[in-house]
Amino acid sequence: MRLFLQCILCAAAVVAYVFVVLKTMHMFQLNSYKAATHARWLRANLRLLIPSLLFLILCSLGFFISNLAVLAAAFAALCVVAVLFYMPVKKAKKPLVFTARVNRMLVTCGVLLAAVICLALLVPIKLEVLMLSLFCAASPFVVMLANLINAPIEAAVRQYYINDAKKILRGCPNLTVIGITGSYGKTSVKYFLTTLLRAKYNVLMTPESYNTPMGVVKTIRGELRPTHEIFVCEMGAKYGGDIKELCDIVHPAHGIITSIGEQHLETFKTIDTIIKTKMELADAVDGKGVVFLNGESELIRANLPRGERRIYGLSPECDVYAFDIKVTPSGTKFSICDRGRVYRDFQTRLIGEHNVVNLVGAMAMAAFLGVPYDDMRVQLMKISPPPHRLELIKKGGVLIIDDAYNSNPKGCEAALKALALFDGFKILVTPGMVELGQKQYELNREFGAKAAGVCDFVILVGERQAKPIYDGLTSAGYDESKIYVAVSLDDAMAKAYSIEAGGQKVILLENDLPDNY
Amino acid sequence: MKGSGRRVKANVAVLLGGRSVEHEISVISAVQAINCLDTEKYEIYPVYIAKDCSMYYGECLRDIASYRDIPAMLAKCEPVYFLSEGGKTYLYPHKRKFFGKPKPVALIDVALPVVHGTNVEDGTTQGFLRAYNLPFAGCDVLASAVCMDKFATKMLLRAAGIPVLDCLLFSQAEAKGFGTIIKSVEEKFGYPVIVKPVNLGSSVGISRAKSGEELEEALSLAFTFAERVLVEPAVQNLREVNCAVLGDADEAIPSECEEPVATDEILSYADKYLEGGQKSGGSKGMASLKRKIPAEISPELKKNIQDAAVKAFKCLGCEGVVRIDFLTDRETGEFWLNELNTIPGSLAFYLWEPIGIKYPELLDRLISLALKRHRKQSEIVYSFDTNILASAGAFGSKGSKGNR
Repeated sequence: MRLFLQCILCAAAVVAYVFVVLKTMHMFQLNSYKAATHARWLRANLRLLIPSLLFLILCSLGFFISNLAVLAAAFAALCVVAVLFYMPVKKAKKPLVFTARVNRMLVTCGVLLAAVICLALLVPIKLEVLMLSLFCAASPFVVMLANLINAPIEAAVRQYYINDAKKILRGCPNLTVIGITGSYGKTSVKYFLTTLLRAKYNVLMTPESYNTPMGVVKTIRGELRPTHEIFVCEMGAKYGGDIKELCDIVHPAHGIITSIGEQHLETFKTIDTIIKTKMELADAVDGKGVVFLNGESELIRANLPRGERRIYGLSPECDVYAFDIKVTPSGTKFSICDRGRVYRDFQTRLIGEHNVVNLVGAMAMAAFLGVPYDDMRVQLMKISPPPHRLELIKKGGVLIIDDAYNSNPKGCEAALKALALFDGFKILVTPGMVELGQKQYELNREFGAKAAGVCDFVILVGERQAKPIYDGLTSAGYDESKIYVAVSLDDAMAKAYSIEAGGQKVILLENDLPDNY
Repeated sequence: MKGSGRRVKANVAVLLGGRSVEHEISVISAVQAINCLDTEKYEIYPVYIAKDCSMYYGECLRDIASYRDIPAMLAKCEPVYFLSEGGKTYLYPHKRKFFGKPKPVALIDVALPVVHGTNVEDGTTQGFLRAYNLPFAGCDVLASAVCMDKFATKMLLRAAGIPVLDCLLFSQAEAKGFGTIIKSVEEKFGYPVIVKPVNLGSSVGISRAKSGEELEEALSLAFTFAERVLVEPAVQNLREVNCAVLGDADEAIPSECEEPVATDEILSYADKYLEGGQKSGGSKGMASLKRKIPAEISPELKKNIQDAAVKAFKCLGCEGVVRIDFLTDRETGEFWLNELNTIPGSLAFYLWEPIGIKYPELLDRLISLALKRHRKQSEIVYSFDTNILASAGAFGSKGSKGNR
């Protein structure tokens, strides 16, 4: 009879435990297995700790309750409460994925459970209830504990994958690896370079933003085939040493550093660390290859690495530079000078100075790898901007620069610069930038002041939203009769179309907001 | 490679056999290719397409001797199928495992179809491989299909200004009474004429007719092989000259020219394959056929033929290696393009050796060309990553943001 009761109690504990662990595991996965993120999530969902609190109360009261039946019933009831609290969401947007890592953690959770159960069956019932209560109270944290216990195993697994990727790379002696890093623009340059190289080579690139060691390793293990001739590897960094770690895996032959800026300053701590980290790519290719550097980035110019290097950009001081840059209704036209030799008539659908700089970097590298500049014209036609990111649209006689997805100050500045290059009557349509915290007013005001120097007419969408830009415009002495505050985007566009321009009309559609603003 | 771990090899599936009258020729050509592919670079997976269209994989498929007893050979092989998963193409065994997921035989990087004739060389295999998004050597679907149809080929080449013989085309429906056919042939060409099925290679079903009686016989033979039959005037003082072309639309080069030597009035199927084969143990195929390399023709004619070959190759959108057969008149020096073989016997390697391209290198180039075409095709937008049906408003519901 006693054993039977003990088993019942254990079974109740097991059921509660399973629900709690699966739910917390699911959340832990959504929090990218990061203890800090997970802890923040837990703080935001404190109600999930109510069952734990109740278990703790039961545990402390347990010393004073002598009636075993009452104690056992209370425990069982609490287990039911825990199950109710940790019911899985019926239709989760992203359900728990049983990856190898999750399964390993679940095994550890299971071992912990088994140990506690074995112990519980050996002690008197009262002690058993107290033990199980304590265990159940701790159960929301078991997943994190399992993660901690498994850390050495995970490190070993990670190392195994890295070594496997290295082995695969060693097995492809004819593969040339190109590393690309930079605070901004590395993804664009990766796409551009890959497209250009495909004129001549079978190229693999890291997909989307797979730019961490595990992302790169996954690409190598899953996608790299001996038929590939060039591997274009995007390298992301958030901490010092990140780029070196990636270089030690893929051993790039050559590299491109697209820019150095304040991106991820909060994790890097200092700008010097950022510079040093990006330059780890230059160190990795030093002595065996060439590093291509964006000469338009001040921080790069001030910190040029030793070793063989080529500077690209827009000024004649660069080794490779674009000149004769003209915007046309179908995009941008430019010529290139590569160490004294001039190549003309390149045409791209992209607009904006930063895009041209990134193209020059990619073209310089592609030429270096043996793609003739003359063969690049066709490939350039295959490069199109991502939707709503400085996308040039011809609508009737009107040119629209659709930059609706952009929302950061740097992007807005680049868009204004792109607009400035066009001949014609320039109209800005924008509701301003949001989600910038305390700086929101100031940054929007600055945006307004800059727009005053470029635009022939400004249409602001939403009165409350548009105030800081309006202030910025007037502070720069902008004629108020050339500002129109629209109630909606439809109203704004109707106004933009109705303005008598007396020439080519160019509309910059900047940061179109969704309905909830 | 020096001590730096095993080199990763590209997996090449060599397709052979097929439901075609040239099944055996394909086996000979393919086994040759398998033995000449660079094993330092490639892992070779022979895939045999049996006459009933089922596919097999096995090591014994590399050995020509295995094919003497096909049932015994197939017993040693594994039935397989192709499967696309996550953008890659695998060769899978039919057999299920007792536990776990079935393991593929291999991930295939590129296919090398060495198959001849209808149902395989005519765009069918090419379409099959395209559907799997698997890079493959040789011509693509359209060029393969066009070159298999002698009438379509003639029409396109004539439009491009490449000399071809005039012809008459008859369908099986018209063949109920041979009388009208014979009459129109006599009116247009007179005798002798050549009768050929419109869509077969390797000279199967082709014969020469010097009289109405012989024409009738030739027609009945040809109609047993095809729905439609071509009749063209026989060339006087005939000399056949073949020239292969290697490359693609960007760059194509001609090979040495050869002159096949006929034992009969025209080069027959027996000439092409059986005779050479018997003498050399049945494994030399086209390569051992009686021929003169280089062809004994004037440098001028050679140049003209090579130019016409490259022009035809590009005009029909050919890729890989194609052997192009010409008919010439010994006396007048006139020449006509007769047919294009998109997967020539022995892959025409013997025409490349004289100009310094060894067979393994030829195969290397074919594989590079396959990867290049696949790369170019992959750049073209065929499908959009976004699912239009998934967006709100696709079924007429209101409020989609994109409709401004």
